[in-house]
Amino acid sequence: MSIEVPASALPSRKLRLTIFYILAIVTALYLLFWFLDLSPSSVFVDFRFVNDLAHQLFPPNLALFLKSALFVSVIETLSMAFLGTVGGGGIALIFAFFAATNTTPHPLVRLAVRTMLAMQRSIPQLIVILVLLIAVGIGPFAGVLALAIGSMGMYGKFFADTIEQADKAMLESVQSVGGTRMQTIRYAVLPQVMPSFVANLFYAFDHNLRAAIPLGIFGGGGIGFELEFARGLLHYKDVMAYTSLIVVMITVMERISDWARRSIITQPQLIAK
Amino acid sequence: MVSPSVMLFRQELPFLEWRKGIACQRWKQAAIAAVLLSLTALTSWRCNVDVQSFISGVDKGIPLLGLFFPPEWSRLVGMLQPLAVTVVLAMAATILGMCLSLPCALAASSNLAPPPLRLAMRSFIALERGLPEIVQLLLLIAIFGLGVVPGLIALSIGSIGMLAKLLADGIEEIEPSMLESVAGTGATRSQVIRYAVIPQILPALFANGLFQFEFNVRTSIILGAIGAGGIGYVMRTSMLSMDYSTACMATLLTLALVFFTERVSDFLRARILSGGLLR
Repeated sequence: MSIEVPASALPSRKLRLTIFYILAIVTALYLLFWFLDLSPSSVFVDFRFVNDLAHQLFPPNLALFLKSALFVSVIETLSMAFLGTVGGGGIALIFAFFAATNTTPHPLVRLAVRTMLAMQRSIPQLIVILVLLIAVGIGPFAGVLALAIGSMGMYGKFFADTIEQADKAMLESVQSVGGTRMQTIRYAVLPQVMPSFVANLFYAFDHNLRAAIPLGIFGGGGIGFELEFARGLLHYKDVMAYTSLIVVMITVMERISDWARRSIITQPQLIAK
Repeated sequence: MVSPSVMLFRQELPFLEWRKGIACQRWKQAAIAAVLLSLTALTSWRCNVDVQSFISGVDKGIPLLGLFFPPEWSRLVGMLQPLAVTVVLAMAATILGMCLSLPCALAASSNLAPPPLRLAMRSFIALERGLPEIVQLLLLIAIFGLGVVPGLIALSIGSIGMLAKLLADGIEEIEPSMLESVAGTGATRSQVIRYAVIPQILPALFANGLFQFEFNVRTSIILGAIGAGGIGYVMRTSMLSMDYSTACMATLLTLALVFFTERVSDFLRARILSGGLLR
């Protein structure tokens, strides 16, 4: 009597699989590099350039930190992220009620809103900002609108899915005492979904802060705009100062929003109930 | 038998407490609303939010959107090459990023690496996460000039920030008994990694790698517009030269690309997490 061993557990078979995977990855990389028409050695360029750049970057122009203009641009970026989150999140909240099966006025409305949100999600922010720059002009306002449109698509769908998972019994109990649709939403749905909404808005803020920097580089204002401006003038010491400030800003805000999100999720009483 | 007055009291008590709670919450809600409103007002002033310019922008924007249509279909075939460059850039960067993030994650987990190494690696990963890809690209362009190379490097290094952090957290959650049982047979550290760690985090590596691929496709469009080539570059140049029907064609292709990558990566991720693949 012999013990049945599945073929996939045999050492030789496993070794062959491993070798196959490694070979597949190497071949794939080789093909991709070949398509991009670059040789791996081109990555290791003449280190003269790296050396030159390092000399130009360091030391960063710390005198810049003494100017108030720098902090104005940081506050501008933070404001862009905040407004994009609040505006986009607020509109997403309204759309979410139209897009969820249990609160939508009509299935066709649901389909229309869902399609619109899906469209918004897949339009790259690059094209949104390029159109907005022509429509409302260069400046942080265009960046705010682009961020709001992005958050709307992303969180509208997410909020709608959250509403659809709401406890059915609560909705029915409000409806059974004669509550209208608005009253059902106000007293049965909102209290259930609000903590998750607010927690996700903190996440959205974090995401928008990161997205605000490329938008700024394309002309959306804030610290990204300043960075691109300094780079255009080849003031690399300023670029380094802006870069370090961006890293600090993003890291600190990530910590804060992480903390806020966790305290809300563990303490749902903080939110209106 | 409970007297009627006591009955009434028992019914009233929770009601009174509820009323008190409601009043307290009203205050809290009012305070939150006031803070939010004042922050909104301040930030709108900072960002020059202007309803007038928004309305005139919509007025200007609708005829502008009219210029986008019909898309320039004749450019479709010519755009397939930059589109492929964008996808291939994202793919190569994801694979390189996955290969790079595995050793970083091993060095950043508390149960495998000595504390100084772990601290150094964790701070490197945090730095990487705080540094947007686009800023890296701007610096790399100064070294390599315009082209795919700076885009590839920026994207693959950028992938480390997210992937290595998720993987390191995953490694730290591995049951200590698993590592001990392999180490107990006299295995060296590299053998512990090979037989106790790698098999457990491989599905997470590939599932997160697919997420990173989706993200990298979106980012490589943006990086392309700055100078890494690909469809983003086509989009920006046609937009700047006011060739809106070409820009529309590029937008349609990107929409299709983003939609398609999302579907494919959702499908593959579901297969990986259900254990169909990689077994």
